Amino acid sequence: MFLALREIQRAKVRFILLVLAIGLLVFLVLFQIGLRDGLIGQFIGALRHQSAPVVVFDVQARKNIEGSRIDAGTQAALAQVSGVGRIGRLGESTFTVSNAVSRARATPKDQLVDAVLFGYEVTGPAAGLGAPTTLSKGHMPAGINEAVASERNRADGFDIGDVIHIEPGGADITVVGLAADINYSVSPTLFVSWDTFEAAKRVRNPDATAVLPSVMAVEPAAGVSVGVLVANLAAVPGVVPLSRADAVAQSPGVASVSQSLNTVIGLLVITALMVIGLFILILTVQKSASLTLMRAIGAHRRTLALTLVLQTTVVVLAGVIVGGAMMAAISPLLNSIGVSFDLVQLLVVGAGAIVVGWVGSLGAVLRVLRIEPINATVPQGMLR
Amino acid sequence: MTSTAMNAAAGTAPALEMHEVTKVYGEGENAITALASATISIGSNEMVALVGPSGSGKTTLLSIAGGLLAPTSGQVIVGGRDISHASPTELTEVRRNTVGFVFQSVNLVPFLTARENLLLVDELRGSRGKQSKARADRLLDELGLSKRLHNLPSQLSGGERQRVAIGRALMNEPALVLFDEPTSALDTQLGEQVMELIQSEVKGRGTAAIIITHDSRMTHWCDRTVRILDGRLQSDELATAG
Ligand SMILES: Nc1ncnc2c1ncn2[C@@H]1O[C@H](COP(=O)(O)OP(=O)(O)OP(=O)(O)O)[C@@H](O)[C@H]1O
Ligand SMILES: [Mg+2]
Repeated sequence: MFLALREIQRAKVRFILLVLAIGLLVFLVLFQIGLRDGLIGQFIGALRHQSAPVVVFDVQARKNIEGSRIDAGTQAALAQVSGVGRIGRLGESTFTVSNAVSRARATPKDQLVDAVLFGYEVTGPAAGLGAPTTLSKGHMPAGINEAVASERNRADGFDIGDVIHIEPGGADITVVGLAADINYSVSPTLFVSWDTFEAAKRVRNPDATAVLPSVMAVEPAAGVSVGVLVANLAAVPGVVPLSRADAVAQSPGVASVSQSLNTVIGLLVITALMVIGLFILILTVQKSASLTLMRAIGAHRRTLALTLVLQTTVVVLAGVIVGGAMMAAISPLLNSIGVSFDLVQLLVVGAGAIVVGWVGSLGAVLRVLRIEPINATVPQGMLR
Repeated sequence: MTSTAMNAAAGTAPALEMHEVTKVYGEGENAITALASATISIGSNEMVALVGPSGSGKTTLLSIAGGLLAPTSGQVIVGGRDISHASPTELTEVRRNTVGFVFQSVNLVPFLTARENLLLVDELRGSRGKQSKARADRLLDELGLSKRLHNLPSQLSGGERQRVAIGRALMNEPALVLFDEPTSALDTQLGEQVMELIQSEVKGRGTAAIIITHDSRMTHWCDRTVRILDGRLQSDELATAG
């Protein structure tokens, strides 16, 4: 402890540079993770934060809710599958809307915007299936023409008490609750009752004979696992049942977004590995005469190796604090792109960074373990 | 009177006993016998000068005596403990607790102050605190370094550095202190001063010491001089101490 900290204290500039480098890398990793989750959240948050554990798509839709329609025959067939507890309709569609009442007055009354409506069963046996999982404010829609809106858009005329008008000439929907991260396709999103959703569809297409749900929201019966339910549902022809997590991960676009951002994160981790590894190794080589001396006067191998590990840990921890502070300072400016500061995420990244530091310092540790105390007797510069 | 007889008279166990110690470096055609059947006994309060030409095996003998090197054959007893067949970990313990070293080259950790270089010894032994600090300060004071406690080695002169090294070697209260050419980097006057310090510190503590030197003018500080040539100990003569 004494050794590790004294050395850092006496070589402040070097260690501060390393801490800053690690801090920057930690910040970049946090930023990329935030960007990834923010983007995915804005694209598919509605699906991720709805209550149905299983979602059934039309096979033609290629796991895209926008292109999916479940006809009446298939709905009936799905309801018969063993293991199904409750099953309900879930509709998704984009509408042009205007603000009849906007308390924030951010949006002019006649300005048209696109909003996504999700219609789920508010009443009946499947009541609440497909609703937002958690509300940050207000309450769930109790009946017709009430909505839970995406919290991210509250200042754009989607706050509690605001009234959204379905164009042209449709219903007036009042926002009664807010939920975080329920956007779909980066648009303002409203969760409404199936009846509200169906009425809105009919405004746009008065001749439609029946309004079909996009997907079916399913909950397993007591004692049935999600995996078993998905397998059972797959036997129905023409459908693709997916668990909620799979529906999110396999949604078109999400996979490619997360893949490219994960690649960037991977490169940052490799960079961190090299920066820490090379720095600690150079430091170890530079002080090999001191390390040899310490071995010669009775320091155990493990003492010196632990000193190195301790130093690495201290430096990485300092870097994590620096990176976390940078992220906390900058994140308020990034809320619009869905990036936010998350302490739990910082702790996870911090723990990962410490492991990266340990792995990075492995080369230096091996070098320390190989030091021969007898070399202390050899005049400097003539190490055998 | 042999040294063994002298020790017997003093009633204390020798600080170092070597019996027929041989060290061979390398194998086959390349084998070099650096030390050949060396037998020596050094009393608990004895200061011995070890002299010999370059390559004669002085450092090798010192390294074996200090537990830095395992002998090829023979018996080595340091501070009453037989280390002839000790494991590397046991040798580390011997170096930490029983012997003190002043090496020919690097003796101080550059990022530690004079005082911290001494405290490091106790730190490695798992003891720290007031007692260690008091002992380090007393040693440095005896060595005339009381104003240099908080200087880094780079801020000290060659003579001062050598004195800190002596303090560091004595910090673990060793039974035997081993000096490899402690004055070779210093001019004659400084060398004399350092030898005088070594003598007063070693004698004042009742510790044994082996001092390797090239310089025959330095041997008079020691109780006796042992000569080595081609790995063989030559003569064992009593000197008239300082
Ligand atoms: N690790 C080693 N491998 C091979 N030969 C060695 C090794 N160490 C020492 N020797 C050889 O052993 C002999 C004795 O070496 P040692 O270092 O003990 O001599 P020395 O008396 O201390 O010399 P100097 O006065 O130059 O320091 C020399 O011939 C040297 O070349
Ligand atoms: Mg030598």
